[in-house]
Amino acid sequence: MKSFSRLVYPYVVWAAIFIVVPMLLIVLYAFTKEGNGVLTLQFTFDNFARFFSDSIFPNVLWRSLKLAIITTVICILIGYPAAYFMSKLHVNKRTMMVLLITLPMWINMLVRTYAWRGILLDVPVSGEIKVYIGMVYNFLPFMILQIYTSLLKMDPSLIAAANDLGANKFETFRRVVLPLSIPGVISGITLVFLPAVSSFFIPKLLGGGDFVLVGNLIENYFVSTGDWNFGSAISLIMAMIILISMFVTKKLDYESAEVGD
Amino acid sequence: MKKLIQFKNIVKSFDNQIVLKGINLDIYENEFVTLLGPSGCGKTTLLRILGGFLEQTSGEIVFDGDEISKVPAYKRNLNTVFQKYALFPHLNVYDNIAFGLKIKKQSKDIIEQKVNRMLSLVGLEGYAKRNVTLLSGGQQQRVAIARALVNEPDVLLLDEPLGALDLKLRKEMQHELKKIQQEVGITFIFVTHDQEEALTMSDKIVVMKDGEIIQIGTPTEIYNEPVDEYVARFIGESNIIDGVMKEDYLVDFDDKDYKCVDHGFRENEPVDIMIRPEDIDIVARNKGVLNGEVKSTLFKGVHYEIIVETVSGTSKTVTMHVLGNKDIVNEEEKEKISASNFYMDLEDVPNLTTGDVTARANAQAWNFDNEDLSISKVTYDVKNEKGVYPCTFETSNGTAVTINITVVEPIFTEDATNEEAVQAFDFYKTVDEIKESIALDTDLKRWANATAWSLEDDSVVEIYDVKYDFDDENITEGDYQITFATKGREFKIHTTDYKKEGMKVGLSFAPEDIHVMSKVGF
Repeated sequence: MKSFSRLVYPYVVWAAIFIVVPMLLIVLYAFTKEGNGVLTLQFTFDNFARFFSDSIFPNVLWRSLKLAIITTVICILIGYPAAYFMSKLHVNKRTMMVLLITLPMWINMLVRTYAWRGILLDVPVSGEIKVYIGMVYNFLPFMILQIYTSLLKMDPSLIAAANDLGANKFETFRRVVLPLSIPGVISGITLVFLPAVSSFFIPKLLGGGDFVLVGNLIENYFVSTGDWNFGSAISLIMAMIILISMFVTKKLDYESAEVGD
Repeated sequence: MKKLIQFKNIVKSFDNQIVLKGINLDIYENEFVTLLGPSGCGKTTLLRILGGFLEQTSGEIVFDGDEISKVPAYKRNLNTVFQKYALFPHLNVYDNIAFGLKIKKQSKDIIEQKVNRMLSLVGLEGYAKRNVTLLSGGQQQRVAIARALVNEPDVLLLDEPLGALDLKLRKEMQHELKKIQQEVGITFIFVTHDQEEALTMSDKIVVMKDGEIIQIGTPTEIYNEPVDEYVARFIGESNIIDGVMKEDYLVDFDDKDYKCVDHGFRENEPVDIMIRPEDIDIVARNKGVLNGEVKSTLFKGVHYEIIVETVSGTSKTVTMHVLGNKDIVNEEEKEKISASNFYMDLEDVPNLTTGDVTARANAQAWNFDNEDLSISKVTYDVKNEKGVYPCTFETSNGTAVTINITVVEPIFTEDATNEEAVQAFDFYKTVDEIKESIALDTDLKRWANATAWSLEDDSVVEIYDVKYDFDDENITEGDYQITFATKGREFKIHTTDYKKEGMKVGLSFAPEDIHVMSKVGF
């Protein structure tokens, strides 16, 4: 076993160069002034002050969070029943359904979103709704598959046991199936909420220019304006928010497993 | 006692496969009933139908006077302890047990009172807050029982609940379950394939086979008076002998008449005779009803299990010609070749192939570097009659060896009493081949092509014994006798007296120890 553990070294090197170092650079950029060289680094909190002093930026952040939260909630509302009925199907049909759900993912996300732009072009709804359609469409499969897997893993004798103890279908679902599928829902949330909160091309393509989100903001500061320091600060703020929300969901998961009633 | 459950002609089939073939069974209040049978006999299916998890194809179940076939599982007043307990992993011990009561919307204080009572019934006081997934198998088992019993069902169904426990814990739980059943005073229906479990705990045992009930009775009835060979073999250990019922109270086996206590069979009806190992006594030779020789003695803890042979099996003796190693060496080509003479059955001649000849002669060739070479040419001319025929094996470089194939007519010994025949052929082997054998008895059977069959119906009979008196580690060239024998009449005897292997002894048993059973299918 020990000799095989060396196989991890290439990944450690890769991760250090392409993940850890860039992250540290972002932290460095976020806390320094624009335009100074390596030797004349000037540390500052200005970038953060700027973000919170102008109400536009927190508003954009809030709009992004709202978009991600609503997208996640819609994905749960559509995805849970879908996953539940899939898990009840005969094994052949189940495999077919999984294939159908994963099939669109074989096509590049960008291409699919362009397709949606074409479809929604003449549909008279607001840009915001178009963005939601695009978001839910893109992230729903992740939610369904996570919940589906957790439902499938469940020991069928637990359902028999609940029936045996007097629980009807609804009670069995509420007291056994739902609590035991919560871990699936939580990992579904992780897979949907995280990319949703930082997505920028779906809102950009479907929402028109007027639907600015944190992702677009960061993209702008890095690509168009060239203000890497401020862009880094916004990235860092968002990273903190994501970390906090992850911590909260983990906590909820833990408690749901503990209390269960 | 009152009838609580009646199964009336229950039939169940899955995909045209009939699993239950019309089960009729009454279960009374307060009974500990065991459904006993090997896996696939339908016992679990019957339990699941009663639990409401499966619906029978036809037939009725009457529960406390009402037909319940259409009543869903959650409305039936019975609870189940599942095979792998099926405890809810997201709930602790307390909440698992309280599950049924919460569904029934009982008040908190009553739930607490009942759960605590159950915890002490199953001996798990102080475990209320524990995580069920971290409990041992035995503890999980107790939680499952408590979770079912707390609902005060009329019947508790137990689906092989002790299967996953180790032997010691299983024995403990057997007593515990019986104690709990007596304490709560309800009907337990227990499914198992373990006859010992069934005998220990049950008031009534239902023996099942292939979707049918074979026998219903108390443990003593089932043990002492099994209805047929199947039940006798399944419950406890037994000696089962083919015999003929000459007249009432007189049975015949192995050409001898014995008095017995059974009657009511047809005259000269073929029957199975069962004698339990503990009912036979070993006595001095000629002092019992049978004589025999001790074949083996095994220490089993409390007693010895002694096998005594009273009638020897059918046997055939052949000669093994052991030769030295005689590889033919071709110095020019740096090659070696070897092959052995062999005997063969006249009947096999028409189907003889080059491959057979090479295999039977064990023809091999190799070079001086010990690399195997293929034999490129086999020359033989075996006629379809008795005789000795030469056969030559040759490599592509012309290294050759010639052997003799001896074609003989099969000679077998028949035994009229045993109604068996044994056939085997003389054979040649080299010293090395014998020394290299890792399973000599099996190899000897194969080399001699030893087979045995029944004269009654031509079915294959196992060659049970291979006797020889050479030491295979230090064998030298020469001829050796090998005897192949079928199994004779052997009696298994349980006794606390040690008897040495090879001892000549007598066997004695009383007429009431002979249990005569109808043949299966008669």
